[in-house]
Amino acid sequence: MSFTVNLRNVTLKYGAEAALADVDLDLEAGKIYGLLGRNGAGKTSLLSLLAAFRRPTSGEVRVGGEPVWENAPIVSRVALIREGGDFDDSETVKAVIETGQIRPSFDTDYAYKLADKFEVPLKKRVSALSRGKRSVLAAVCGLAARAELTMFDEVHLGMDAPTRDAFYKELLAEYMERPHTVVLSTHLIDEVANYLEEVIIVDRGRILRHADIEAFQGMGATLTGPADAVDALGLAALAEQRLGGTKSITVADALDKSVRERAAAAGIEIGPVGLQDLFIHLTDPNRNGA
Amino acid sequence: MSSLANLRLPTRRYALGAGFALEGLKYFKYWVLAALVLSFAVPLVISQYSDVALSAWYYTANVGKWFTAFVGGGFVFTLVPNMIAAGLTRRELAVSMGVFGVLWSLVLGAVAFAGILGERAYYDALGWSQGIDASDAIAPIGSLGDTIAFASYYPLLYLVYFAAGTVIGIASYRWEGAGWLLLVPIIPVVFSLDNGLYDTEPVGPGWAGFLGLFMDGWARGVVIATIVAVTAVLAAAAYRILIDVPLRSKKA
Repeated sequence: MSFTVNLRNVTLKYGAEAALADVDLDLEAGKIYGLLGRNGAGKTSLLSLLAAFRRPTSGEVRVGGEPVWENAPIVSRVALIREGGDFDDSETVKAVIETGQIRPSFDTDYAYKLADKFEVPLKKRVSALSRGKRSVLAAVCGLAARAELTMFDEVHLGMDAPTRDAFYKELLAEYMERPHTVVLSTHLIDEVANYLEEVIIVDRGRILRHADIEAFQGMGATLTGPADAVDALGLAALAEQRLGGTKSITVADALDKSVRERAAAAGIEIGPVGLQDLFIHLTDPNRNGA
Repeated sequence: MSSLANLRLPTRRYALGAGFALEGLKYFKYWVLAALVLSFAVPLVISQYSDVALSAWYYTANVGKWFTAFVGGGFVFTLVPNMIAAGLTRRELAVSMGVFGVLWSLVLGAVAFAGILGERAYYDALGWSQGIDASDAIAPIGSLGDTIAFASYYPLLYLVYFAAGTVIGIASYRWEGAGWLLLVPIIPVVFSLDNGLYDTEPVGPGWAGFLGLFMDGWARGVVIATIVAVTAVLAAAAYRILIDVPLRSKKA
């Protein structure tokens, strides 16, 4: 059984400042979600509420259909892995893994297997680990938690590219073997885009967009062709690249039929927009009507 | 923690509390051993130069109270983020800390109890006087019955120090930079009650026992009842601070 998530009118304030304001959000069970947002947008605050790390100032947070706050049967099956993990630095890697056994679902053998695969030495103290290895240890504990709702908050920071790739593959393999709800909060958008089923964009404490990945990709387009022909279309570009006489532009709006026909006639190829480019556009502070 | 394997959800809070006590004792076993050795070796060295009239174990047992306060505070400060992140509720952690505090105080109290009786036999065998520093004069603890009565309060005293340390530890986590200020009201109360129970000079900052001035003439039973009540108030305060503590944000 994997967990659904429901937030109703949720506000979280730090003092007088609202990190989240009147948030409504519903996540179906058993999907992989991407949580995107600029720095300070409210991603970590949102995840902290889902894991009962914090209590909302007002509103209701339900996980698996039940209030999550101080609900042992629920929080024991929710894992939020923050960057660098929440460890006692004086402990060894082995002791940190054993601490995970607080969760009845924790798979210790799997954790040891992952530690071996990612070359995290069991006898080393956490304080002696590099930033990358510490991130890997956090990821290992998150995967081995075998939780029904697993959230990774920038857990990749410090990992090198091959390690990140191996982590994503392991995450996917674990998900395929045991479908559960996964939320990935990251700034490496294009790197995880292929793994996501739905995307939530948080901006200035509110949910800006929440849709499946295809909907996001259908929101814009990438046009590649002769530079003059691309320019002649007169489209507002989010991003552009030029190589010799070839130009590629990204636009945020879906193309209407006449533009598509003109583009095709001019030998311009039309492809889906990159999620990162779209994200940059949607969260542009100078953009109106987000 | 190797003792955590196969925890069951309804009872994990109790198993965790016992696990904390076990792990704490394992972690500090060499400290306890060193204190034991020193307490029995130092008087032997002193006896080469002068008469031994003071109980060394009395000082060791008193230092144990402060040590217990640091254990309570240090553990809760570290455990709050780790345990909540590992899927424990605050209520469960509070119960675990309660079990931990009781077990720790009982075990350390038993060690203190056994130590003072062992020291009595040791001092008797070598013809020394097992005395304590009682209000500027050295007074023998007394008969075997007096010694047993004297030592029997240690578990309770360890518990009140544990509770005091836990309140300060959780307050320091919750109110970063200001929580430790709870030291100001808590130390004088606990230290003065400790002082009042024995009518002696416990190891620690003497000025903090100023409330003892108001306890002159209190019957021992009243002091004990007050210690029990203060322990309960401190435990309730720790629970209240812990029960909705937010986890701190991670810092880059």
